Amino acid sequence: MNLYDLIVKRIKDAQEADSEGPVTNVSTSAMLTAEITLISSVLVALIMLRLVNNVLMIVAVLVVLFAAVLAMPTMPRLKREMNDSINGMIFYVVLALVIVIALFYWGSLNV
Amino acid sequence: MNLLIPLMIIVPIICALFLNLLHKKDRTIKVIAILLALTLPLLPLLASYGVHFFGGYEPLTQNPTLSAGLPSLITGTALNTFHPAITYSFQEAQKLFLFILGLVAFLAILVSLFETRRPSGVYGFMMFMGVAAVSALILTDDIFNFYVFFEIAALATVGVVLVSQVKGNYETALKYMILGSIASPLLLLGIALLLGVTGNVNITDIIASLKSGVVDPQNPVILMACGLIVFGWLYGSGLPPFHTIKSAIYSKALPHGAALLQAFSVFTFIALGIIILRIFSYLPLSQMVIIGVSLLAMILGITMAILQTDLKRMIGFLAVGELGYIGLGLGLGTALGITAGLFQAVNEIVITAFLFIGFGTIYYQTGESDIRKLGGLMVQNSKVALLVLLAGFAMAGVPPLNAFQSKLLLIQASIQAGLPELGVIMILLSIVTFMTFMKAFHAVYMKPRPLDLEIKNDKIPRVTILALFIFLIVCLVLGLFPQVATDFLQGISTSLAGGIP
Repeated sequence: MNLYDLIVKRIKDAQEADSEGPVTNVSTSAMLTAEITLISSVLVALIMLRLVNNVLMIVAVLVVLFAAVLAMPTMPRLKREMNDSINGMIFYVVLALVIVIALFYWGSLNV
Repeated sequence: MNLLIPLMIIVPIICALFLNLLHKKDRTIKVIAILLALTLPLLPLLASYGVHFFGGYEPLTQNPTLSAGLPSLITGTALNTFHPAITYSFQEAQKLFLFILGLVAFLAILVSLFETRRPSGVYGFMMFMGVAAVSALILTDDIFNFYVFFEIAALATVGVVLVSQVKGNYETALKYMILGSIASPLLLLGIALLLGVTGNVNITDIIASLKSGVVDPQNPVILMACGLIVFGWLYGSGLPPFHTIKSAIYSKALPHGAALLQAFSVFTFIALGIIILRIFSYLPLSQMVIIGVSLLAMILGITMAILQTDLKRMIGFLAVGELGYIGLGLGLGTALGITAGLFQAVNEIVITAFLFIGFGTIYYQTGESDIRKLGGLMVQNSKVALLVLLAGFAMAGVPPLNAFQSKLLLIQASIQAGLPELGVIMILLSIVTFMTFMKAFHAVYMKPRPLDLEIKNDKIPRVTILALFIFLIVCLVLGLFPQVATDFLQGISTSLAGGIP
């Protein structure tokens, strides 16, 4: 089994475990596209860390790349996380509030 | 004083109240709604630039008659320059934004009147009230007044969803209100902190206090206020972590309602985004946060869109993703970036409304929005299919349509600002946007028609097709002559960028 088949099999397994309907070619290729888009966008975004430090950028890109390969497929999990559950939404809202306030309050005072 | 400025808010409010009073008189509702909706894009075109003072008068420096005889305690201090009234400012950018809002509102209301068997006064009330609130958000220079209309816009959004009769609408509206009950008070707290420290709610006066050193810009209370206002901005515009509920809200509204709701979100996004840039641009972190959140919105919105099987939810997530492009332009902080971001906002509002109303014809004909249950509808109406295809091309940034110009400007701005990575991400996500759209288009129009698919309304109203044509014309005009829009945005962009080209 080559790498592509392996990835598709894992995506199908993950989709079947959390399936709202039959797993089709369209849904699998959509999931695969989303997965590749997520990883590539995050990796390209991380390159902007070069403005802070070149070494930090290289380390961050390698760590995220390695983690992404190990954790693949991440999209089914991400989709599960971003469901319409009010508990999940409130959790992420509170988390975002903490991050934003911490960033502005301490980030602006100490940078 | 320009009397047409307050009319831009008063006309939709009066119309909203009338429609509510005439709830069961179908024909009267139709006539009043069409006539008054037509004034929405016309008023900004007719109004001349200027300011309007509600409940007060202009600053004393601008009116020597008022300041004559006042003690030097007032005329010799900063009080002389303060704005005692609620100030509404109508300049080039506001003209463009209000015209686009009026046009989208007019077409959405028109389509709703002809696609609904019995026009609902309550539904019309909610749509007009939302338009009034968002018009005020665009015009006001008073941050507390902004908050009042921010809340009215949120309530109108909930109202549009509540009267849609789409399955699950009550639950989604309730969730939106619960999340709003967390975010809105925090936005108000941020405004209260600003008022506490600067003694002012007028944005120009707050900026003057910070720039003149009357208030320490690094005061921890100001920093906290900035964080809270940014958090309110995330909620109002549907940026992460509110992207899930925002896309759910769009999917539970009727397509014409969703077309209007996304315009509300984008205008809230740019109105509050401009306020954040105006007051807090001295904090480098504010621009970094805007870029970070926008990137997150783009990546999450577009990757989640491709996974959806519900047509309205898919466009909802795409709309959230497209917000990220606008945010990137604002976050770059250069005049070119801000112009490109605001131009993208104008384009996105038109294109997303085009898509919602275009794909809305499917919902109108079949009562179905699950792409797994749809197919073969090209045969039903090939003209509408072509228009929807062009809307998808516009969203993905295919030339010569409008988003091509704004996305190209955004990429140029990111390269000019020394962040070519953002340009790469924008191109990558535009490709995925196109793929997402083609997935939906194929499923709805080109796939064989399921045997159990029932056509409830065979004929699409001519008004709907006319609305789609108007959207297409706007996309073409802005794509071929982008300066028609960008000329209106140069002034605000240059002033926000503070001299950075």
